[in-house]
Amino acid sequence: MSFEEIPHTADVKIHASAPTLEALFSETFKALMQVMYGTERGDGTIRKIRIESTDNESLLADFLSEALFLSEVEGLVFSDARIRINGYCLIAELRGESFDPARHSGGSEVKGISYSGLEIMHDANGYMLDIIFDV
Amino acid sequence: MLEGLNRVGIYEWEVPIGYVPGMRVAGRFFLSESLAKTLEPGAVQQLANVATLPGILKNSLAMPDIHWGYGFPIGGVAAFSVDEWVISPGGVGFDINCGVRLLSTPLLHKDVSGRRDLIDELFRTVPTGVGAKSCLKVSSQSLDGMMVKGARWAVSAGYGVERDLMRCEEGGVMNAADTRFISAKAKQRGIPQGGTLGSGNHFLEIQVVREIFDPDAAKAFGLTLGQVCCMIHCGSRGLGHQVCTDHLKILESATKKYHITIPDRQLACAPITSPEGRAYFGAMAASANYAWANRQMITHTTRQVLSKMFRVEYEEMPLIYDVAHNVAKIEEHILNGKSRKVCVHRKGATRAFGPGSRDLPPDLTSIGQPVIIPGSMGTSSYVLHGTQLAMDRTFGSTCHGAGRIMSRTQAKKNLNGREITANLLKEGIIVRAHSENAIADEAPGVYKPSDEVVNVVHEVGISRLVARLSPLGVIKG
Repeated sequence: MSFEEIPHTADVKIHASAPTLEALFSETFKALMQVMYGTERGDGTIRKIRIESTDNESLLADFLSEALFLSEVEGLVFSDARIRINGYCLIAELRGESFDPARHSGGSEVKGISYSGLEIMHDANGYMLDIIFDV
Repeated sequence: MLEGLNRVGIYEWEVPIGYVPGMRVAGRFFLSESLAKTLEPGAVQQLANVATLPGILKNSLAMPDIHWGYGFPIGGVAAFSVDEWVISPGGVGFDINCGVRLLSTPLLHKDVSGRRDLIDELFRTVPTGVGAKSCLKVSSQSLDGMMVKGARWAVSAGYGVERDLMRCEEGGVMNAADTRFISAKAKQRGIPQGGTLGSGNHFLEIQVVREIFDPDAAKAFGLTLGQVCCMIHCGSRGLGHQVCTDHLKILESATKKYHITIPDRQLACAPITSPEGRAYFGAMAASANYAWANRQMITHTTRQVLSKMFRVEYEEMPLIYDVAHNVAKIEEHILNGKSRKVCVHRKGATRAFGPGSRDLPPDLTSIGQPVIIPGSMGTSSYVLHGTQLAMDRTFGSTCHGAGRIMSRTQAKKNLNGREITANLLKEGIIVRAHSENAIADEAPGVYKPSDEVVNVVHEVGISRLVARLSPLGVIKG
């Protein structure tokens, strides 16, 4: 279970892999938060969200877009997500803390989650994807 | 050069029909041989993908700052017949009306040289970086004003002077704005961010005019050698990002509904005349207006700082011009000898209307539109003017900046923010940012040399050089 940033000229491209779809979503979510706020992210505050969509890729993009929205308007920096997926419906418990300029200013604001090249692949080892965040 | 492309001029290349399946027209891009070395296959693929969209006119185009983005390539321009076909958020991007403006001052290089206190004060006063909130209070009523009236709202709220509006593309407001199609979420994001710069490649820079290439145009624009100017680069902030996110979803369904085949989901689109297309266009225009108001508010803050520190009157700091470089607009262009309304998408490209164009202020009609091209941190920025050739060849468009060549991962690995800051300081350039990563991410070496990019558009003739400015101080998000 991991994610890594891979070279992309203009934006941030993430490769993530995990044994389950839920873990893949969680890894991609952590990658998003790391790009925006760096690695020093605590917890203590919980937010629950529910997303319904039409396919796995849209479900992921909608989930991450909702996380971006919540993070920005509530000034929250998330460290982890516990996710349940049933069909194309997702329920997530996001754990995080309030934005602290001293610890969280080192990242790049993500403007949006791109669909370009977004495809969730599945083989015997689990799930993987590449995703582009517009920064 | 990459395989499968045809050279059709010294600086012009063709992506032939068939490069990707379903292309309706050929792609064309402008590039010098040295810049061609950094051209990515992904960028050409994206240029070819745009050529598959229904209703595309003439060519899928890219400027010499072309690079790999999402949906359209960055530097991409495409026009579509308004009566027949599509509008796509993939041709605008998440940061709707990301743009740049240049503000002049009566100050000279010697007045501000080495003035760290000026850069510190601007960094303290203009909210920048991730999580920054505005110090100018925006109410929900003001937000409506920003979205409906753009820079005009900002001027009427006291954040500028009437003349500023004459010096904005579109007068700083797109009348097609329709706030019914702006979600509550987008509004919620827009309220605290009015007057903030953002992060990434957004910046505010104190510059000095180092070289004048066209004295008549420079005089008309209000630029003189040795003059200190201020360049502001930012966009529509979280409001625009949310509008793109919201409407991308709607347009994805619409793409299926109208049986449009697209090679990349980010190119989701709908007929401009469809309810979904009209809703996106109205929301996009409202976001563009928010961005114009935002840049106007930052201009106000900047003028206040300069007034206070250098005893310069507000009116002594006129706006040279403000251009959008991520936008879709309905414009009139001549096609096969006839004037036609078309929807021009510019994704990382600048409008460059030539002499005689209707949208220009009367005193600039004979010169052409001012075109402002920011360099990367530490390198020169340029002012050019639009040309008739741009009207004929590129739907009145030119490049928008230097164009990245190094990925952010590579930049962070190979470059050190502290060293870059020290090296720039040796050149007399003061840099302030919230993190060293932000500096490494946007270091001069990660971009194509701006002088090579503008040289191509100058030589091709889709805009012509007027002046070169170099940075004295930079604040980054």
